[in-house]
Amino acid sequence: MYGGGYIFDEPNGKQLREEKQHDDPEKLAAFEARITRGEKIEPGDWMPAEYRRQLIRLIEQHAHSEIIGALPEGTWITRAPGFKRKLALIAKVQDEIGHGQLLYNAAETLGKSREAMINDLLSGKSKYSNVFNYPAETWADVTVIGFLIDAAAIVNQVANAKGSYGPYCRALERICYEESFHLKQGHDAFIELATGTPVQKQMLQEALNRWWQPIMHFFGPPDKTSQHSEKLMQWKVKMASNDEMRNQFLESYVPKIWELGLTLPDPNLRKDPETGRWQYSDPDWDEFFRVINGGGPCNEERLQVRKWAEEHGRWVRKALMNPQERRALPVA
Amino acid sequence: MNNAALTDLIIKMADDELIQGHRNSEWTGLGPVMEEDIAFSSMAQDKIGHAWALYRILHENLGGQDPDHFAFIRKEKAFKCSHLVEMPNGSYDFSLMRHFLFDHAETVRYESLRESSFEPFQQLSRKFKGELKYHTLHANAFIMQLSQANEESYARMQSALNDTIALAAGIFEPSAEYEEELMVAGVYPGEAALYHRWLDRIYPVLVKASLNLPEMSTVTPVYGGRKGFHTAYLEPLLKEMGEVFNLDTEANW
Amino acid sequence: MSNDSLDPRVNRLKLGDAGAVIKVEEGENWNVYEVFHQEKRGAHHEHVGCVHAPDPQLALVFAKEQFARRKKCVNLWVVRSADILAFDAEDEDMFENNLEKNYRDASGFKVMEKINKFKQSK
Repeated sequence: MYGGGYIFDEPNGKQLREEKQHDDPEKLAAFEARITRGEKIEPGDWMPAEYRRQLIRLIEQHAHSEIIGALPEGTWITRAPGFKRKLALIAKVQDEIGHGQLLYNAAETLGKSREAMINDLLSGKSKYSNVFNYPAETWADVTVIGFLIDAAAIVNQVANAKGSYGPYCRALERICYEESFHLKQGHDAFIELATGTPVQKQMLQEALNRWWQPIMHFFGPPDKTSQHSEKLMQWKVKMASNDEMRNQFLESYVPKIWELGLTLPDPNLRKDPETGRWQYSDPDWDEFFRVINGGGPCNEERLQVRKWAEEHGRWVRKALMNPQERRALPVA
Repeated sequence: MNNAALTDLIIKMADDELIQGHRNSEWTGLGPVMEEDIAFSSMAQDKIGHAWALYRILHENLGGQDPDHFAFIRKEKAFKCSHLVEMPNGSYDFSLMRHFLFDHAETVRYESLRESSFEPFQQLSRKFKGELKYHTLHANAFIMQLSQANEESYARMQSALNDTIALAAGIFEPSAEYEEELMVAGVYPGEAALYHRWLDRIYPVLVKASLNLPEMSTVTPVYGGRKGFHTAYLEPLLKEMGEVFNLDTEANW
Repeated sequence: MSNDSLDPRVNRLKLGDAGAVIKVEEGENWNVYEVFHQEKRGAHHEHVGCVHAPDPQLALVFAKEQFARRKKCVNLWVVRSADILAFDAEDEDMFENNLEKNYRDASGFKVMEKINKFKQSK
């Protein structure tokens, strides 16, 4: 699960000047022509340093989001009601770890090791999707995450799957396939509550109210405030604008929420019949940046738990390490 | 053939699978490395799946409650799982060793059911065969590799074995009331026979791993779970597992 | 902090300090193995991704759940990524003329045309 709220790297002037010198104009032209023709870039290909850096950052953030994303839903693994929900939730959280595995591999083909990425996550240097810094307070929160956050992630991932980097696209293809199971099981559990007892309905409505703003944040800041994404769009690293994806999500899912008799906590939310686009109140973007920078309700716990897992798994990893063996990064 | 005897056996098997699967699922998302996290989670799901299948047999063939109600509402006293599966996860060495001992026990049990006179057992035995093969392959690989890796990991595995062996022997707690009847009816070969088959399975792996299996005649198996006497860990586990379901047991979740 | 998580699993862990420095050593996630998946008997093994593992045996154990827990599968191969030999991307030009060499291709031979011509000439 991952949204468009990623933070692209902003290189400093010196870095850019140096990279420009290394980026042979002939090779750059051939690279860009390949992308324009709709061909994929593969790990061994020549690529501009800036392309490599932004892709590593993007895929790495996506990978971190998967393994951190396993935590809010994991909150309810031991409490899921009934066999079917219990098994589906474990399988879903397992898939998130599996997605993380695929994505770290894809990022590794660009030259950054899994260990280095994990270290950047643990130190706070590298970010993950903001939405996972919020708590899953009740079982209903799990259904909201499973249905709507996964739906939002699919909008983003389907777009990214058409990007230019082969290994990332291949990972996303598998991920999107599994996300469709997540969405379906989330929707199913969501409908069960929406059509259930008064207590269940209330539980769901409250969860929806809690999650609406993080969901609106999920696709990232409005286009008018994001900078320098033109090159990234041309290189097919960024595939759709934040507002475009947000609109697509609202178009597909708001009706599915409303048809169940639920409400959303935004009096201005409606589809403009003339433009066909959705209108909504601006979510609190200061809150978005506050949470990204560590001020959310769960930032601290998420990293503490990841640190616990790395620390307590270390003896297993170290015992089986074989430093003499010839090593290589993933080939594709 | 008395249904009470069959019911008793199925509840013991199913409760073991459910609680073991539940415990192992606690590792999902927190494992030592992503690949192992995924593998361990699949096996946890398989265990819970086995429990579900057994409760369905109770429900469909023996007039028991529906599986969700039976598993998620039942009182602690009515559970018949062994103490081994109730224990908290501890660190990964404990969880791995429990997985190794439990899964070999499960394997010999389901193998014995291939020829059971109770037809649903035959089906389960065939259905779970491949899964259990993977579970024991995974367990054997980890036990052998970690025991042979370095001093720390060897010491950890040996101490995990010391901590779990009496608990694991408790899986085979005999039942004075029903066991004889089930054996005579050809349902299964009885706990003592399974216990010896289990020892025959784990012993060669432990030898290869250079781990010392204590002289089993000196080990007192931890019994009681099969009669409803449990460790202090089971009650909170059940409370947690049923927390949402018990908000409204008549609702659909 | 270790007692106010909403996750009962987390409350059972003894979490360390949020600011604690935890670093993973290079190589701690083991080596990389490429995974090849065979969907059914008679089919080729196809590359589907890779796993990190300390040795081939565990690579296979891990590959089974990461790459064959849903899809139909009858067998898997694993091979150390370091043992894969491939052409450089810039050697792609070696393959450029493949499609022009129609003497290697059935479509390059117009048998029926010749037979018809022969029949007409009689």
